[in-house]
Amino acid sequence: MLPLTFRGSAFMTDKSSDLVQGTLDMLILKTLALEPTHGWGIAVRIEQISRGVFRVNAGSLFVAFQRLQRAGLIKSEWKATENNRRAKYYTLTEQGRRKLNSETREWERQVAAIARILEAS
Amino acid sequence: MSLFRTIRGGLRALFPRERVDGEFDEELHGFLEMAVAEKMKQGLSRQEALRAVRLERGSLEGTKEVVRSAGWESLLETCWQDLRFSGRMLQKNPGFTAVAVITLALAIGATTAIFSVVYGVLLRPLPYNDPSRIMAIFEVNTGGTWSRLADPNFDDFRDQNHTFQAIAKYSENAASVSGASQPTRTMISSISPDFLKVFRVQMMIGRDLTAADARKGAAPVVLASYGYWKQYLNSSRDLSQSHLKIDNVVFSVVGVLPDGFQFPPHASLWTPADLDGENPSRTSHNYYAVGRLRDRVAVEQANADISALARRIHNTSSEQSDYLLKDGIVVSLQDSITGKVRPALLILLGAVGFLLLVACANVANLLLGQASVRERELAIRSALGAPRRRLIRQLLTETFLLSLVGGGLGVLGAFSGVAGLFAEERENLPRLNSVSISIPVLLFAFLLCSAVATGLGAFTAMRATSGNVSEGVAEGGRGQAGSRSSQRAGRSIVAAQIAITLVLVVGAGLLGRSLMKVLEVNPGFRVDKIVTMDVSLPWAGWDDPKAKAGEAIFFSNLIDGLKKIPGVHKVGATSGIPLDDGLPDGIFLLMTQNEVPKSRDDFEPLWSQKQRIGTADFCVATDGYFQVLGIPLLRGRIFDDRDGPDSPHVAVISESLARDRWPAQDPIGHTIEFGNMDGDLRLLTVVGIVGDVREYGLDVPPRPTVYVNLFQRPRAAITVTILSDADTQLVVSAARAILQELNPEIPPRFRAFPEIYSASLGSRRFNLILIAFFGIVALLLAAAGVFGVMAYSVSRRTREIGVRVALGARYRDVLTMVLGQGLRTTLVGVAVGFVGSLALTRSVQSLLFGVTATDPLTFAAVILLLLVTALLACYIPARRAMRVDPMVALRYE
Repeated sequence: MLPLTFRGSAFMTDKSSDLVQGTLDMLILKTLALEPTHGWGIAVRIEQISRGVFRVNAGSLFVAFQRLQRAGLIKSEWKATENNRRAKYYTLTEQGRRKLNSETREWERQVAAIARILEAS
Repeated sequence: MSLFRTIRGGLRALFPRERVDGEFDEELHGFLEMAVAEKMKQGLSRQEALRAVRLERGSLEGTKEVVRSAGWESLLETCWQDLRFSGRMLQKNPGFTAVAVITLALAIGATTAIFSVVYGVLLRPLPYNDPSRIMAIFEVNTGGTWSRLADPNFDDFRDQNHTFQAIAKYSENAASVSGASQPTRTMISSISPDFLKVFRVQMMIGRDLTAADARKGAAPVVLASYGYWKQYLNSSRDLSQSHLKIDNVVFSVVGVLPDGFQFPPHASLWTPADLDGENPSRTSHNYYAVGRLRDRVAVEQANADISALARRIHNTSSEQSDYLLKDGIVVSLQDSITGKVRPALLILLGAVGFLLLVACANVANLLLGQASVRERELAIRSALGAPRRRLIRQLLTETFLLSLVGGGLGVLGAFSGVAGLFAEERENLPRLNSVSISIPVLLFAFLLCSAVATGLGAFTAMRATSGNVSEGVAEGGRGQAGSRSSQRAGRSIVAAQIAITLVLVVGAGLLGRSLMKVLEVNPGFRVDKIVTMDVSLPWAGWDDPKAKAGEAIFFSNLIDGLKKIPGVHKVGATSGIPLDDGLPDGIFLLMTQNEVPKSRDDFEPLWSQKQRIGTADFCVATDGYFQVLGIPLLRGRIFDDRDGPDSPHVAVISESLARDRWPAQDPIGHTIEFGNMDGDLRLLTVVGIVGDVREYGLDVPPRPTVYVNLFQRPRAAITVTILSDADTQLVVSAARAILQELNPEIPPRFRAFPEIYSASLGSRRFNLILIAFFGIVALLLAAAGVFGVMAYSVSRRTREIGVRVALGARYRDVLTMVLGQGLRTTLVGVAVGFVGSLALTRSVQSLLFGVTATDPLTFAAVILLLLVTALLACYIPARRAMRVDPMVALRYE
């Protein structure tokens, strides 16, 4: 699997950030496609589903939120949580949904291609 | 769409900072709280949970920083930080900052000022509708010179061309105008009916001229400029009562032109041309011509069109002579107005560009010194993790700040200086009123600042960030390793400065020598203590003997009256004083006494006989004129009381005419016919030879001239010359009163002849002053550059010098070493500059007089000057080196 540690991304070099960035965005969009939720919810969901492979730190997460929101892929509103806290809930927009679909297809295409290359050797 | 949202999001983050921050704080806080709660569910204490979350998810502050720096708005923020940091750095080195800012202010200000003039005069479009389509049309003469158009030639151009939609002729002359609120001496332009169509000007009030107005015998009408209408016609919108008397004819004012229309440049009134018929000669060049190109016609096509017409006239005309056109030419009106000053202005721009380079070199050297002082700071920042990009941005920000502050001050200086600077050039520089610090000029200044900043910033960044970090930190402030290459860079800069300075100073030297040579020229006339008085009587036509006799009497009375003013020694009159508007020139015929012509036609067969014709300027003068101007009588006599209107007409000729036309003979006693100049066909007998006069300027060779007697050949417009010891103001007011008494409707114009003389040298002096100023500033900057580099080198080599002295080097050895080093740098610069000057001074050739562009004396003097300056600049650091105490120097390390 790809080495995805997000800790210390402030000093992350430019080399892998494109890949990492795109991937994190896709994971967030996928999570929100299931249901709208707040930041912590997204972090937990990504961690759970990946069975602990990805642990997302706050910095990367919120930078991604900012980016996605400015790109119009997600939107946000303040709501009360089940524990009666106030939290910002993120929702996928229609544009975000389309983006997720195309990203997923592209991802699958790439993974399949890589798999073929690895099998060939 | 998404870009818009990005920008909007960024702006929202940037401006109401607190609100967005607060919202984000709350969200982040909630996030971390939830994480802590999760951990605490697993059984950790709150303290432990907080710590774990910080490790796993990042700290609150760290995260905030990361998120904040992710958007584009953070770039602005770091720029702002850089700017503040740069400000602090510059504040911390007030000496460096002041010198750099002043240097840049001077150079950018000077460049902006010169550019504003180049822009206003050469580049800014003329203030007319679609001005690039307006052309000036000239005849081309035998010698390749351009001249005005003769009436029949203009008519052919107008009627037979295929490339102009409108074409018009115009002339300009001063006349006495009365009938308005007061009599004025006003410039009147005679125009053909399509004149305003060429410029596409709409009348502000009233109507344009029509073809009917220009027909012979039409009711006389006149158009007024906005300025004249306001000042002398009481701004009356009803023109039916506005009449002006010009040349004894009453004109009705039928239209007023809009504010800002000024063509020809001095005209205030426009009247139809040819009210008394056209001049049928194809060699009387009386009118300028302008035309507007048809749509989609290129200048080249129009040129070919007019040229073909002109050559057809040349080949078919019966008036074959040197004065018949050879060809025609079409140039844009703008070029025809500014063509004369273009070379000088471009040279000035080039010179100030050189000054800018020298100034930038100085600042680069200062920055280089700064950079080596800051090596340690940069090294530490780099070690702390600042990427190279960030450091370069910091240095660029600093140079931007420097050059923007410097440039801003410079532009302010240019703003206040440019008007005053060129005020003296008002007479010599066309379109000066369109010169201002306008938007394009400001844009130019800004681009200039940016270019300077980028150049300087890139230079320092390259030098400052190329070093090795660990070396830099270890080396600290006392290093030796990085200094060698930076010193080499410093010396190269200084050599370049010297080279450029040499070129500038050589240019200034050549212009200076030219001015000296011009001043050495004997003009052929006296200048001091002369007041001139322009008087225009009403134009009486070509052949009205009674009116002419009246003019002669009027001028005789005027001159007699003026002679009685206390302090006045001599009074004369002429059709044109030297260094002013010049004289008309033409072809005269050599005749014998018994050939008495009856009419113009009798001369026709003679025109084509080469041995019977000569060319000369035609000047009408009184005997007093020669005395006032001190033009020496060489042989024979000048006019006197014998030469009444009815006695045989006489002429005096200039020395060069006598030499050219009668090389082996005595011209005195010969008769000539020059009636084509004033319509009087009576023969002229040469009675005297006078010295040559440099009519067209001290730097233009004198032209052969025929003088005729004003009292035999009167004319309406003359210039009276008054030689007096009395105060000019007293003479002027007395003369004004005398004229007023003779005829109150003729306003005179007075000028001091020394001022006319001085103005004729104005452009030359002006160019010299500016280029010499640039040269001196460049010289000072170069000297400062040499001094700076040498002083720096000596301070860096203190220990080495100490060791040398300790080992037995004598003071003289140290002095020689330091001076030798400085001299080597200087010599490299001088060599490069010498070669550059040889190549570049050719471009100032057109401004030189009496010296070649490679004048050895100027070159030698300038090179010597630079060497001496450079040695002086080296001397102070060299003395400091000599005083190095080996004990102190070695302990210091």
